[in-house]
Amino acid sequence: MNSRILTGVALGGLIPALWASSMGAAPGALAAPRAQNPAPRRAPLAAKPAPVSLSYDRLPYARAGLSATQAAAHLLDRFAFGARPGDVERVVALGLERWLSQQLAAPAPGPEVERRLAEYSTLTLSPAEVVQRYPNNGQLLRAALDAGVITQAEYQKKDRVALKDRLAQFAQQQGYGRPQELLAETTAQKLIRAVYGEDQLQEALSDFWFNHFNVSWTDNKARLFIPSYERDAIRPHTLGRFRDLLEATAKHPAMLYYLNNAESTAPMPDDARMQLAADTKDASDASATSDAANAVMTDNAAMTLNPAPPAPGRRKALQNPRKALQNPKKTVKKAARGINENYARELMELHTLGVDGGYTQRDVIEVARALTGWTVLPPGPRGNALQRRLARQGSAQNLVVDGLFVFRPDMHDTGAKTVLGQAFPAGGGMEEGERVLDLVANHPATIRHITHQIAVRFVSDTPPKALEDRLARVFSDTHGDLRAVVRALAYSPEFWSSSALRAKVKSPFELAASALRALDADVINPRPVVQWITRMGQPLYAYQPPTGYPDSAKAWVNTGSLLNRMNFGLQLACGRVPGVRLDLLKLNGGHEPESAQAALKTYAPLLLPGRDLTDTLRQLAPVVNDPEFVRKVDAAAPKPAAPGAMTSPDETSTPSNEAMVAPDDAMAPTDAMTAPDTMTPASDSGAAPAARRARRQTNAIRRPNGQASRMNGGGAARRALRNAPAPTQLAEVVGVLLGSPEFQRR
Amino acid sequence: MWTRRALLKSGGMAVFAVGMGGSPQFLARAASLAASPAMGRRRKVLVTLFQRGAMDGLMAVTPFTDPNLRVMRPQLAMDASRDAGPGALTDLDGRFGLHPALSALAPLFREKRLAIVHGVGSPDPTRSHFDAQDYMESGTPGRKGTASGWLNRAVGQLGHDASPFRAVSLTSALPRSLYGDEPALAVANLNDFGVQVPGAARVAQAAGQSFEALYETTSQSLLRGAGKESFEAVRMLNRADLANYQPANGAVYPNSPLGRSLRQIAMLIKKDVGLEVAFAESGGWDTHVQEGTTNGAFARRAKDLGDSIAAFWTDLGPRQDDVTLMTMTEFGRTVHENGSGGTDHGRGSCLFALGNDVDGGKVHGRVPALVPDALEDRRDLPVTTDFRAVFSDVAGAHLGIAKDAALFPGWTGARLPVIRA
Repeated sequence: MNSRILTGVALGGLIPALWASSMGAAPGALAAPRAQNPAPRRAPLAAKPAPVSLSYDRLPYARAGLSATQAAAHLLDRFAFGARPGDVERVVALGLERWLSQQLAAPAPGPEVERRLAEYSTLTLSPAEVVQRYPNNGQLLRAALDAGVITQAEYQKKDRVALKDRLAQFAQQQGYGRPQELLAETTAQKLIRAVYGEDQLQEALSDFWFNHFNVSWTDNKARLFIPSYERDAIRPHTLGRFRDLLEATAKHPAMLYYLNNAESTAPMPDDARMQLAADTKDASDASATSDAANAVMTDNAAMTLNPAPPAPGRRKALQNPRKALQNPKKTVKKAARGINENYARELMELHTLGVDGGYTQRDVIEVARALTGWTVLPPGPRGNALQRRLARQGSAQNLVVDGLFVFRPDMHDTGAKTVLGQAFPAGGGMEEGERVLDLVANHPATIRHITHQIAVRFVSDTPPKALEDRLARVFSDTHGDLRAVVRALAYSPEFWSSSALRAKVKSPFELAASALRALDADVINPRPVVQWITRMGQPLYAYQPPTGYPDSAKAWVNTGSLLNRMNFGLQLACGRVPGVRLDLLKLNGGHEPESAQAALKTYAPLLLPGRDLTDTLRQLAPVVNDPEFVRKVDAAAPKPAAPGAMTSPDETSTPSNEAMVAPDDAMAPTDAMTAPDTMTPASDSGAAPAARRARRQTNAIRRPNGQASRMNGGGAARRALRNAPAPTQLAEVVGVLLGSPEFQRR
Repeated sequence: MWTRRALLKSGGMAVFAVGMGGSPQFLARAASLAASPAMGRRRKVLVTLFQRGAMDGLMAVTPFTDPNLRVMRPQLAMDASRDAGPGALTDLDGRFGLHPALSALAPLFREKRLAIVHGVGSPDPTRSHFDAQDYMESGTPGRKGTASGWLNRAVGQLGHDASPFRAVSLTSALPRSLYGDEPALAVANLNDFGVQVPGAARVAQAAGQSFEALYETTSQSLLRGAGKESFEAVRMLNRADLANYQPANGAVYPNSPLGRSLRQIAMLIKKDVGLEVAFAESGGWDTHVQEGTTNGAFARRAKDLGDSIAAFWTDLGPRQDDVTLMTMTEFGRTVHENGSGGTDHGRGSCLFALGNDVDGGKVHGRVPALVPDALEDRRDLPVTTDFRAVFSDVAGAHLGIAKDAALFPGWTGARLPVIRA
């Protein structure tokens, strides 16, 4: 095994040296004298030797008093989504160091994930294909008008119901999808990867980095690009270089739209602005009829997307949508108003330097200016037309097109700038933005900020300073090699200390994934679990602000969310979460425990391996021994159906189904930012259509073999049916364990 | 349950203060604050209602005497009459008329409990629903990175002992307005609140006992505290009562999401579970097509809004003194109607504030003559009142929050007096 000793070197000398060298590497005016370097507000990293040298020989758990079993369980709680049955033993047998090396090598997700995702139709689509397949309502209307399916006269009629039906029919014929199908597959694949992936560390890191560089489905402009954002910008770089990850997010349409850099432009004369406004209508909003069509297509007509007001010409456009669509210049929007600072600010405040990172409002403006022209090329003919026009205008020599990212010289502010103390001479182009990324990616404040966040995610909400210093040191030594940073984290004694063990409260996503793993569950249809994750407070891909979800126990644990966590564990174990198939007896080699007490003793260590369960058992033993408990549970045993093997009923047969489906369904019908969460149904007619819609979506992503499970015909189910009495008590005990405080922690 | 706990806490605080040699004033203040619910003093409640989609303020409250309106809205402009006959606006003050679908609110305006603020909006000119809602809910126009919502910050300023029901959103996920450090509860249906297994109530009951035992003694203090609060909260709520809830005074709520939300808020208020900030929402205000006049897309939404609010107010009965309700919407709509009989995204809109302390019976704010030169970008009702000027006054005066800077960081404007001093 490789062994490398990092000796303690004065950090204070090292990072400024790196900082200076990254500056020095820049040509010309960028090679500014040191004196002009920005002075971070906080003191530079501790100017003293790193407290402990790191050995990459053995993971230092023994020194912390942990057995290999305990250590493997801890490792699986942090670098994986918890242990599946037998995982701890497998990791111990393999060797913890080897398991970690394998994970750091970013293995493939494996055949199980491939099998389960095989039927998903959106996962490999390019962003342009997604836009094509999931037209917004305006684009759909345009296509229907072009195809002659709908006439102008019909469009002008007040009979919206008929129009809506015609459009829906047309969409179906054309093979167009509804955006919520895209979301359903995106959330489903995230859960499937977390539960079944062999690349557990990479998936945990993807979750972390997506949240760090958060974008939100609630943003109509950004939403269609989110699957690609995670797949193409986040996941490939989680064990790569921070600088590459940063640039991948900076240039992705999801981020360009979400934080408005796509519309940020140098100040310009009015006519140019008008032209620009016509060009920069975002890719998902191709027509002046979009709003009108949204109003037709969505029941509640809420929240359409159209960031700019229609100019006078727009009224005519609406009277004659087809004509307007054919000539987008006539549907001019109010032009962009110059720079938009949103991305520049969050780039520094959230993505890199941190809020105390020593930048000023002046820097925000200068960075925004440097990034003007970083925008999105509309897919399809509009993008082609734009490229041709820019070529004619002669600004093509600086035009850069990379996928849907485009650098537009005509939007770029070519004046001189000073960014974080560095002079940028006039006349620059796209490389200015890249230099900004160089500057901030390697800034000492960034190193501190990023390594702190990594430590918070993987060690504790209040990580020790010595650990942060060491990680910062590795980050700067390796120029932001994230694999090296994660490796150093695992080889740090602080990772294994008693104050780190179980110090983190699982996020709802982590809770759900770890529960499914612990039970070795067969997730036939992920959607109900995804809805539970929303209920527990974490609508996936839909946290609105760019901060991402706060990473602290306090953010997850409060009255409402805690009850939902308990209910999730309980209902999962009792077979009440549709789409999930369990075999609780199989976890114990097919043996049914003789009593609730025996079930507790057997299943607690199965579900919570490597933990001290003294307290849990002491508290629960009297409760489950209480004859009253047995009476209650027995009396409550579902009558004929729902056998012990807990084959979950399909949602169509779950009595309380609508209540369960309702919450997150609201995300579906809205084209709106009423949010994934809001209960505002699409109409006042109540939950029934909502539930129907949810079922439709569910069906859309159910794999064929899901059908078999609904027959209730798995071998396990039959075995359990023979094994009277049905182990309702077992389900109850398992449910209580999953909802227990101990299981909320990792 | 709540009462006992509060008393225990106040007792503890008193001992602490004496032990530390605290001044008598401090002692008295701390004790009175902590004990106030037990003393039968009811807390003030702010109910906020977000109309998502951007309500057409000129349709809701129309400056009907402005001749320009007929020109710009040939299909949408309506006449007013004193007696609010069917199909006509209710003349509020000789200049503004209330949409007939909102007629349930007219008596409240006449009783001077209902105020309207017109020309409200954000200084940030975005016409994106997403951005504008985000800014209104974070309370920081133009800044997306603000982690918390303004209502959560308001809760943080209350400065006294909290109930788990202090901040409640009748939505399935927490709205941006309530993001932040203060605990806030998002629950779409209060009946879902508790340990539950559908179709197996007794399993749930037994499991509930197990959970309570486990959480009571867990070494993780946060889980212990939240667990304890959760079970107290469940008992406070007593779901049996919820199922049998009958609105008082003959109030009839519309059977709509908004009606159901306000009904549950009224229930929480009357059950004295410590509610202080409530949030509900209403969708469907994005009226680009066939907005209609007395009937149509707008009228349907408006009727739901007006009837829900009126039912809520009737239901509250004697508790009206404790409650202020305020509506909000992310922006208004174009003054001109468009070619589809609707209106597009604009700037200023109007909001309603309802309460016995409200300086009601007035249309506050400023609406200029609707001539192009007076309009924002020559087309939209201009924003003449920053929404923060209204929110800070309503939340500040009703809940007793002095620090505007805490509610709206970076804002230096003045409050618009909507609550009577």
